[in-house]
Amino acid sequence: MTADPHAPGRRTVIPLDPSLAPPGTRGFRDAGGLPADRWHADQYGETLVPTHCCFCGVQCGMYLRVDGDGKVFGVEPRDHDINRMRLCPKGINAYQQVNHPERLTAPLMRRSRDEELREVSWDEALDHTVSEIRRIQEAHGNDAVGVLGGASLFTEKTYLVGKFARLAVRTRHVDYNGRLCMVSAAGANKLAFNIDRAGNPFADILLTDCLLLAGANVGECFPVLTQYVWGARDRGATLIVVDPRETAVARTADIHVALRPGTDSAFFNAVLHVVIEEGLTDASFLAGHTTGWEEVKATAAHYPPSRAAEICGVPAEQVVQVARAFARAPKAMAFHARGIEHHTQGVENCLAVINLCAATGHLGKPGAGYGTLTGQGNGQGGREHGQKADLLPGGRSIHDPEHRRQICEIWGIKESELPPAGTSMMEMVWQMQRGEIRGLIGICNNPFVSLPNYSVVKDGYDVTEFHAQFDFFLSETAANAHVVFPVTVWAEDEGVMANSEARVVKHNKAQEPPPGVRTDTWVMCELARRLGAGDKFAFDGSRDVFDELRRASAGTVIDYSGITYERLEETGGIVWPCPSTDHPGTPRLFEDGRTYHADGKVHMQAVEWHPPADPYDDEHPMRLTTGRTVAHFLSGNQTRRLGGLVEQTPRPWAEIHPSRGFRNGEPLRVVTRRGSAVYPALVTEAIRPDTVFIPYHWPVPTAANALTIDALDPRSKIPEYKVCACRVERAERIDEVPSPPVAPGQAAYPETQVSRTDPLPPTAPQGRGTSERS
Amino acid sequence: MMGRTMFIDPGRCIGCQACVSACRECDSHRGKSMIHLDYTDEGHSVASLPTVCMHCEDPVAPCAEVCPADAILVTADGVVQQADTTRCIGCANCVNACPFGVPKIDLQAKLQMKCNLCYDRTAYGLAPMCATVCPTGALFYGTAEELQAERPGVQIADTFVFGESEVRTGAAMVVPAERVRWPVPGGLPVVEINGEDVRR
Amino acid sequence: MTEPPEAPSAAEPPGADARTGPPGGPGSRRRGRGSLVVARAAEALPRSVNGRAVLAGTAVSALLVLAIVCGSRLLRDYDSALLPYAVASVFLAFGVAYRYTVWVSAPAARRLLARGWGSFFSADNFRQAPTAVPRMIATYLGFQKFLGARSHARWAAHQLIFWGCVLAALITFPLTWGWFTFTSGTGSGPGYEMRIWGVKILGFDALSVVGWVMFHGLDLAAVLVIPGAAYFLRRRMKDRGAMTGQRFAYDMVPLLALIIISVTGLLLTFSSLFLHGGGYEFLAILHMASVVFTLVYIPFGKFFHIVQRPAAVGMQLFKYTARRGDEIFTCRRCHEPIDTGPYVENLRGTMRDLDLGFDRWAEYCPRCKRVLRGNAYLSQVKKGFQ
Repeated sequence: MTADPHAPGRRTVIPLDPSLAPPGTRGFRDAGGLPADRWHADQYGETLVPTHCCFCGVQCGMYLRVDGDGKVFGVEPRDHDINRMRLCPKGINAYQQVNHPERLTAPLMRRSRDEELREVSWDEALDHTVSEIRRIQEAHGNDAVGVLGGASLFTEKTYLVGKFARLAVRTRHVDYNGRLCMVSAAGANKLAFNIDRAGNPFADILLTDCLLLAGANVGECFPVLTQYVWGARDRGATLIVVDPRETAVARTADIHVALRPGTDSAFFNAVLHVVIEEGLTDASFLAGHTTGWEEVKATAAHYPPSRAAEICGVPAEQVVQVARAFARAPKAMAFHARGIEHHTQGVENCLAVINLCAATGHLGKPGAGYGTLTGQGNGQGGREHGQKADLLPGGRSIHDPEHRRQICEIWGIKESELPPAGTSMMEMVWQMQRGEIRGLIGICNNPFVSLPNYSVVKDGYDVTEFHAQFDFFLSETAANAHVVFPVTVWAEDEGVMANSEARVVKHNKAQEPPPGVRTDTWVMCELARRLGAGDKFAFDGSRDVFDELRRASAGTVIDYSGITYERLEETGGIVWPCPSTDHPGTPRLFEDGRTYHADGKVHMQAVEWHPPADPYDDEHPMRLTTGRTVAHFLSGNQTRRLGGLVEQTPRPWAEIHPSRGFRNGEPLRVVTRRGSAVYPALVTEAIRPDTVFIPYHWPVPTAANALTIDALDPRSKIPEYKVCACRVERAERIDEVPSPPVAPGQAAYPETQVSRTDPLPPTAPQGRGTSERS
Repeated sequence: MMGRTMFIDPGRCIGCQACVSACRECDSHRGKSMIHLDYTDEGHSVASLPTVCMHCEDPVAPCAEVCPADAILVTADGVVQQADTTRCIGCANCVNACPFGVPKIDLQAKLQMKCNLCYDRTAYGLAPMCATVCPTGALFYGTAEELQAERPGVQIADTFVFGESEVRTGAAMVVPAERVRWPVPGGLPVVEINGEDVRR
Repeated sequence: MTEPPEAPSAAEPPGADARTGPPGGPGSRRRGRGSLVVARAAEALPRSVNGRAVLAGTAVSALLVLAIVCGSRLLRDYDSALLPYAVASVFLAFGVAYRYTVWVSAPAARRLLARGWGSFFSADNFRQAPTAVPRMIATYLGFQKFLGARSHARWAAHQLIFWGCVLAALITFPLTWGWFTFTSGTGSGPGYEMRIWGVKILGFDALSVVGWVMFHGLDLAAVLVIPGAAYFLRRRMKDRGAMTGQRFAYDMVPLLALIIISVTGLLLTFSSLFLHGGGYEFLAILHMASVVFTLVYIPFGKFFHIVQRPAAVGMQLFKYTARRGDEIFTCRRCHEPIDTGPYVENLRGTMRDLDLGFDRWAEYCPRCKRVLRGNAYLSQVKKGFQ
């Protein structure tokens, strides 16, 4: 981009223009050569299409700028009441995916993995897929084909994934990547409240007096939510952050509990212990609205602060401090995210937080309550309507005969035709390894980056006889498939998503898909038609699916029947349950003190701490934890192709405390029992000395998930991403980040990748400063 | 200080660089980001500092004063504009004279570019791109009264001290209430470099 | 419409005077708080500078009058129909000299001027790189390579305007000053002689290609200028980036003037060739008025960049010379190169001239300035949220 001031041979030939300027004044952090960079705004003929961001669970409103030719060329902030014009760097760059040169525009196919993928017609790809499914199912039974969905799909499509798997493919094996996201919270919510969603809207944060964030790097994973956190503090609220790292929100927090990864339930039990000891419980709430308190209380008695201090590696006084701040606050709220959920005791960790809220009576009031922050755009909506192994639309259980009967009636099938529950995503990969699942259809996911223990995942996929994948960029997983269907990005179709608050929002179509690209809905319906189930999949588009979804959810807890596209467009979002078209929605739960259990009580569950699945020993004495960085999203298949975001954070790093004796930028090998990888060290005091952090958005050989353990929570089946045993050693050279895969014959955009090979870590976990190496 | 202007609070900044990406979307310099985001406490914490043009008022825009080509215009509303494309000769005087380290330069195009407070937006009463999207309010655009209504108890300071000189700016920093009358330190005199005391 | 209709009055064009910088030497700086920018230029222009500028303007215009009189062999060759043009060019000379003097009286420009000419006249420099100056002139002034880095289309359009204007200027100025004469030995052609200052330069046949070009030079210039100016005009009405802060008098008028001059000029030819001179009188007056206006406008508006742009060569030559000497100045904190040593010294001198008391700060790169300021804020104002 700019001339190098140290250009070789300067003694011999001085260019006419000496091109000297200080560092950081020459680079403009452009869009990395993407066409977006050159799309200039025209005074005339621009329309703004109101929609929402495709990325995280906050679901910020935004306008997409569409030019006279109907092409998305930019973004404009939207004053939607979720985000009030705020956007994060991912959201601002999201539009660049729409006309990205690396988009897939024709189906890709190969008959065996020895061949290269080649472009084929839609008919050929669809027919081949159908014949492979038939071949495998005839030889090995219907359940030998699995379907994996995703939580970045519109809710209509997630509904369709469940229906497609069960009615068209007729398999029990359907699950989705939300299994890697927040299922622990879902499990805990179902146990405690029998409703699976956050209890309070974001706006309640502004009303609270004490905010507890547990395992939630709000500043990086939900940047726009920070305005609510800061808003609460502006009004005097106390902020407590529980995180092994001193994140951007933890840096200025009133109390930052930097506990050891994997010790959350011990900490929260100890907090509860102090609350009980000091008589800070809300006795009337406990008596009137809870069950199981005695057991919880008895368990908490085993966790005095001194024990927590030992387990968690934090001062005992901090436990007392947190207990007093949280319990004494007139109104307190607790939010948690993946930090406490990605554990073999993820459900228990969440329950421990719920116990604390229930014991102090901080539930169901303005400014007092509890919630989980969903990570994926449709993390909430994606788990509601039946793409989860054990759930049917409307959050119905697939085990419950009454629920099965209702769904069979809606779908017009006999009860015997509805398969039983399947297994979770990671378990399906194990089954693929064992040859129990031989065919797979993946829709909107990238397990090669996102599932733990990469070598197992790769093996599982490699032995699969047939694998079809839906995506709009060639993901690492899609590049390994037999058939790849090019589908739309979010801005090329309409549909709804539900954000962390369970607020259903409408995404609008901003431009026509490029030639050759179809919607996921069309592909699923077309496959279903060719599989002989066309009558159940006569959908023209999202609207038709949504109408059926509304009917299918009517009368359940997750009631969408009162929500229509028109109402969503008028209101900017409706929070379910919404049983009728004149119902305003239910932003805050439990206001009458009643949960969704038959007895209306909070079912408190006693929680014991147990150590993480991966034991520490002399070989593996340290704790490895993984997470996100602000510039990238999930497996990075979308964000690693956007120049501005690559420029901000080109590569992963290993964050380590200076006491470990490494220099910044030094190659650092992180070794676990499953593998090793070399990263540049980001040496910072903002992490515990016994902990190493690696962000997970990159593929092998720099994949954090080549190191993580595929141990699951027994209830939620969530993998334990957030802690495993590791050691660090000096290495010769760092592993380089590979460029994202592209379709054969397609032009990759090298300009977006210029900084990918930067050997140094970013300046801070949030990325490189704008003047760094430019 | 201008009526509606930019207020910067590094204490709220989470370093997410939404401002950096948003700046690129501004129609007046689309594709090029002018804002700076620095992680100032490298190795110790994730603290960060966004830097937009402070639109100096007294002395009047040092960048404009050191410009040999009269290329930097200060509009009547106090906004220091980026270099006039017909005049700028790309000498980088402004780049190195600016006490806040704001201007950038395209050496090939012989053109200085800098934050112009998103003049295409602010001239119509909209907030600049960076302050519009800033998820934390570390960059706030409005009047001092609007700021204080949202954040009870904060004060603002629009004077910086560089050595013996004071620079009063059109944009301001958010400071704790007790610091209201004090100028904000600009970093000069330099007391330490990379942990080494350089005061001699 | 170029001004955004809803734009607040604050965004109104403050006119050329609003440019800060040039006026005032070291003594004239007003340190008073709240000094208003707009008023500043006019008000702060010290007497001495103004006097010098008037003197320079008068001297240059007097010289021009003298050159006209002498060049036209004591007005013997002078075509009185072109008088208004000549008068306008005298005004132009005054204006340019005046503005130029004011411009180079400001510390930054004065220092750069001295440094640029110093490098230019350095015998050492000339020996070592004799081609540097001509190459720079060709690159920056002739082919304007830097514009290509901004946008290829803008470069092409500007080149059209530039060469068109150069051609037109080369023809019209000597013509209106009576320096050029075309005489025919036979009284009515086709053999013509071109004379400068009465001296025969070349003879040509009016019916030949050379002759055609000689007589249609201005038409060619117009054909070059019109598409270039039209491109810029369209851009100024359409591109949101270009429109930001755009002012009618500064940005649009020059383009409109160029187009009007070119179109009326072409129409004059059209009229004489096809309409037997129909409408010629009116067109001639319109053409003359637009040319006179443009000439008088040059020193005060956008066209002054024509006079200023050579400074780019001086600046580049100055940096180039220092760079050859390998005098790179590096940041005192991060040790990354900032610029050449003499450049940084020159900048510090300029800042001292301007009474900017933080010239020491120029020894740090912009990033280090920001980091140091950030650290100072963290350690002295507040560490965290409150």
